[in-house]
Amino acid sequence: MLRRWLASGRLRVAAAALAAAGTLSAALAPLLGEAVSESLWGIEPMAYAGGVALIAGLGLLTASYAARGMPAGGPAASGEGQAPERWSEITQRYFEVFHHDLGRPLSRIVGKERELRAALQERSGEIDPAVADLLDEIERQAPNFRLMMSNLQALIQLEGGPTTVREDAVEPAEVVRRIVERYHGVAVEAGKQITWWSEPAEFGIVYSDGSAIEHIVTNLIDNAVRFAAGEVEVKLTRNPTHFFVRVWDDGLGIPAQYVAHLFDRGWTPEAARRDEKVSSGLGLFIAQTLAARQRGGLTVESVTVPDPDHHTGFLLSLPLGRSTGAPPA
Amino acid sequence: MADARAEGSILIVDDEVASPIVSAVRRRLEADGWRTVAVEPEGGWRSGDEFEAAALYAIEEAKPDGVLLDVRFGDARDDLFKGLDILRKIVTAHPTLPVLMFTQYAQGPDRETAVRSTLRWDAPVDFIDKLASPEEVVLRLRRLIGTAPEVIRMGGRITLNVSAKTVTVTGKSVEVSGPSGPAALADIHGMRFEILRELAVAWYKSPGRLVPFSALERYSEGEDARASLRVRVREIKDVLGKALGEHLGAGDLIINVRDQGYRLMPKE
Ligand SMILES: Nc1ncnc2c1ncn2[C@@H]1O[C@H](COP(=O)(O)OP(=O)(O)OP(=O)(O)O)[C@@H](O)[C@H]1O
Ligand SMILES: [Mg+2]
Repeated sequence: MLRRWLASGRLRVAAAALAAAGTLSAALAPLLGEAVSESLWGIEPMAYAGGVALIAGLGLLTASYAARGMPAGGPAASGEGQAPERWSEITQRYFEVFHHDLGRPLSRIVGKERELRAALQERSGEIDPAVADLLDEIERQAPNFRLMMSNLQALIQLEGGPTTVREDAVEPAEVVRRIVERYHGVAVEAGKQITWWSEPAEFGIVYSDGSAIEHIVTNLIDNAVRFAAGEVEVKLTRNPTHFFVRVWDDGLGIPAQYVAHLFDRGWTPEAARRDEKVSSGLGLFIAQTLAARQRGGLTVESVTVPDPDHHTGFLLSLPLGRSTGAPPA
Repeated sequence: MADARAEGSILIVDDEVASPIVSAVRRRLEADGWRTVAVEPEGGWRSGDEFEAAALYAIEEAKPDGVLLDVRFGDARDDLFKGLDILRKIVTAHPTLPVLMFTQYAQGPDRETAVRSTLRWDAPVDFIDKLASPEEVVLRLRRLIGTAPEVIRMGGRITLNVSAKTVTVTGKSVEVSGPSGPAALADIHGMRFEILRELAVAWYKSPGRLVPFSALERYSEGEDARASLRVRVREIKDVLGKALGEHLGAGDLIINVRDQGYRLMPKE
């Protein structure tokens, strides 16, 4: 009964109003207090009342949120299913408010780094290679950060429960082109090459989820660039019902015993070996989940060293959409 | 105006005085051969409206080939609307002028879709986040502006002129230099020129893009189109290698990618 009352939405609104009124009266105490009573003492009762109202309001608000989150059986009953949902709801709301701020500190850092590079170049013509290396290292972190942020966002959206299959008009070649452009510098810097092409060359549009395609392919290319020996290839093809993005690299390959866990959330070989984890292991989990949501799939095929043909190929397949499929351009 | 536009110019509209991200992009654009003109609130525009008016005036004046718009939208609600206002006014007044707009990171594709839906559907407008490298911004602008230039510089020393159908090499090798700068390589003409042009344009538009055999086979003849293509590519590389004064091996300049096609890979 009490819980029901506590959990009601109206109570939360009232509690928030109370807290707001408290803040306001505490803040205005020096002004209003003086008007209420000539002496300085007029300030204090106002401020105290405001403080009490604020604390009471916040307390009620917290209690109300807590009660809403509790399963019907009371706090002792197991909260399976409920608790994670509550958590992701809060996280999601947090991100709705703050996500556009997350990249700002980094874009400042990167901006300053580029300024510094230009200033050094202007002053002495050539930058000391050791300094250039340090600056490059800062620059290299930018794509990592971008990927982490977008993975976090994708993950939170996935936690938000199932959504409908999206069928927006998307140009997959354009999506691939952009991602390759983003990684081109990173790859060259590491002495590697990314090549991409599509068949047909004028690939045309599909009906799908552009941001899901971007998330998936970005994760695949990010991995491929990291693990390639020298070459990464991205190839876009289609058949009458589906389109495919194949991301191939000439790296050492993925051992068969690892392949089974590759798409697990948080799995990396370091984690499996109980070594220090160097990455989050979320990329492929997110990629496969997103692909499945769009009624597609993500598979892997790998040949490991010592076979001279060692490589890893990930194949993303997604329906062309609008049931019949889009005609090629 | 025609001569000023021959090289191509980009108008930069930036509401923060010399924001480092934009300065880096500006330098990169200039290195790429673009002229840049900036609208910056140097004296400090008193209001957003004044800034907007200055931006629109600059477009009339400079007649740029593209606009790079960095007006924060996303911090405060006012800024949000200001950036979009300027974008919308540009699109209304100049519906064919390409505009690339910076967004704060992670506003995400949904946000872009929302913004785009307030514009004409076919407006040449694109968005790029602030963490993008200057390289990426330049590529996106090239793509948005669309046309490949008359003159494509491949790496430091090779230049291809599309309409004159000539290829020149600058640098050490003395015998290719004529009295008025480097002379065109006489041995790159006809089909050889066309092949190199295809590769150069694809590379200019997207540096990682492969040109599949199917797109090149029309520049070859005989029973075995691929073999004839292979010979032509070999010839192009020999001529360029001689002019450059270096041997161009299988992994240099024009590479055959796993029997799919060719790709240009110039050295800086
Ligand atoms: N192309 C590849 N070649 C070799 N190993 C790979 C390749 N792609 C993925 N892996 C292995 O699979 C693991 C999991 O990849 P996943 O993308 O899920 O996570 P991550 O890259 O480790 O971290 P994150 O992507 O979250 O930053 C990687 O750590 C790596 O060991
Ligand atoms: Mg990864």
